[in-house]
Amino acid sequence: DQSFHVRYRMEASCLELALEGERLCKVGDYRAGVSFFEAAIQVGTEDLQVLSAIYSQLGNAYFHLHDYTKALEYHHHDLTLTRTIGDRLGEAKASGNLGNTLKVLGRFDEAVVCCQRHLDIARDLHDKVGEARALYNFGNVYHAKGKSICYSGADPGDFPEEAMVALRKAAEYYEANLFIVKEIEDRAAQGRTYGNLGNTHYLLGNFRNAVIFHEQRLLIAKEFGDKAAERRAYCNLGNAFIFLGEFEVAAEHYKKTLQLARQLKDRAVEAQACYSLGNTYTLLQDYERAIDYHLKHLIIAQDLNDRIGEGRACWSLGNAYTALGNHDQAMHFAEKHLEISKETGDRSGELTARMNVSDLQMVLGLTYSTNSSLLSENKEADYNHDETRSRTGRRHSMENLELMKLTPDKLNVHK
Amino acid sequence: LSGRQEAESTAVPSKQMLHSENMEMEPETMETKSVTDYFSKMHMGTVMTSCNTKQK
Repeated sequence: DQSFHVRYRMEASCLELALEGERLCKVGDYRAGVSFFEAAIQVGTEDLQVLSAIYSQLGNAYFHLHDYTKALEYHHHDLTLTRTIGDRLGEAKASGNLGNTLKVLGRFDEAVVCCQRHLDIARDLHDKVGEARALYNFGNVYHAKGKSICYSGADPGDFPEEAMVALRKAAEYYEANLFIVKEIEDRAAQGRTYGNLGNTHYLLGNFRNAVIFHEQRLLIAKEFGDKAAERRAYCNLGNAFIFLGEFEVAAEHYKKTLQLARQLKDRAVEAQACYSLGNTYTLLQDYERAIDYHLKHLIIAQDLNDRIGEGRACWSLGNAYTALGNHDQAMHFAEKHLEISKETGDRSGELTARMNVSDLQMVLGLTYSTNSSLLSENKEADYNHDETRSRTGRRHSMENLELMKLTPDKLNVHK
Repeated sequence: LSGRQEAESTAVPSKQMLHSENMEMEPETMETKSVTDYFSKMHMGTVMTSCNTKQK
């Protein structure tokens, strides 16, 4: 009787703690939620369904907190448990969550196995909703895999074959998902799939298709009054229009992004939108506007203590001022870019900045020394040599390490 | 002067560097389990059982 009473009290307090954990996670306080769930596990329970729910929620809470190692640990516990007790639906859910976590950790092959298990069980159970969700996860895994193989600096549509294969698979899974979510009339799920399908086609270089899908996404976002999704769609549309060469249209979409970012009071996204607008106006060769947006980006980056963003802003500003022929301002920002890239350990940024500083030193040197013909000639000769190097450097990847051998010597010449 | 013009044109970055690397992905969907749901099902089960018992 005594031991029954103790056990009863323990079961009750485990449940109470878990319920409080659940409540806290629902309001978004994952940190506190985790403590309650962990306390619930400490107390323990003999009800394995309750334990499975706790493991699963702990895994999701850690996922939201970006602690993916812990998330993996708990989703794995949940999978083992559900398999032990023969809970098929629970096993499908645990597999889906484990797959998502493995995807974030870049363990794509294992993630694929989990997605397949999720899908197989959902089909066995004739669970249409589960099947659609598994297909969406599958698409996400292949999209992430494809993106991870895309080397930086390459244009969409111009990635290695292995990346393209993964991206095409992602598109297939998203299409299969779309078929079901249309059938079951789940508009919210359709919206998510259209968005990611648009991004997949963007990476595949099918920019027209990307636009079609992002427009569908936008429509659904508006239906739901989902401002964040609307902002995402505008940003992705802007990106696609850049590659279609329709810069004016891209600018209009980025302006909508900016407007929504301000409405949502998301400073980081606001900065990103300004940066995109700066780049778009550079492509339109409207350098005054480009400078205006890059300065806005710079101010936010400084506010947010984002040194990498600040460096990028300085680089862009240096380029825009150079294009306008304002070499003094260009030099100011090129030097700042150099300083920041050194500080952040951005080697390719540092190299670019050094080249820009040296180019600008040349141009400024030429301006100041027009009275001395001899000096001018010398500089001109040196400059042409310098140009050959920097043009080659820019044509190839900025990470071309061959340049490193040349740069220090050239710098000594100018200093 | 030709060198100067050259500097101006090379300093304008290519489209490659200008496209936004910022692709906005849709959120992941995590599967959810809940003690509350499990509990309400259990409770429903109890109610159903007691109803059945009464009927008998």
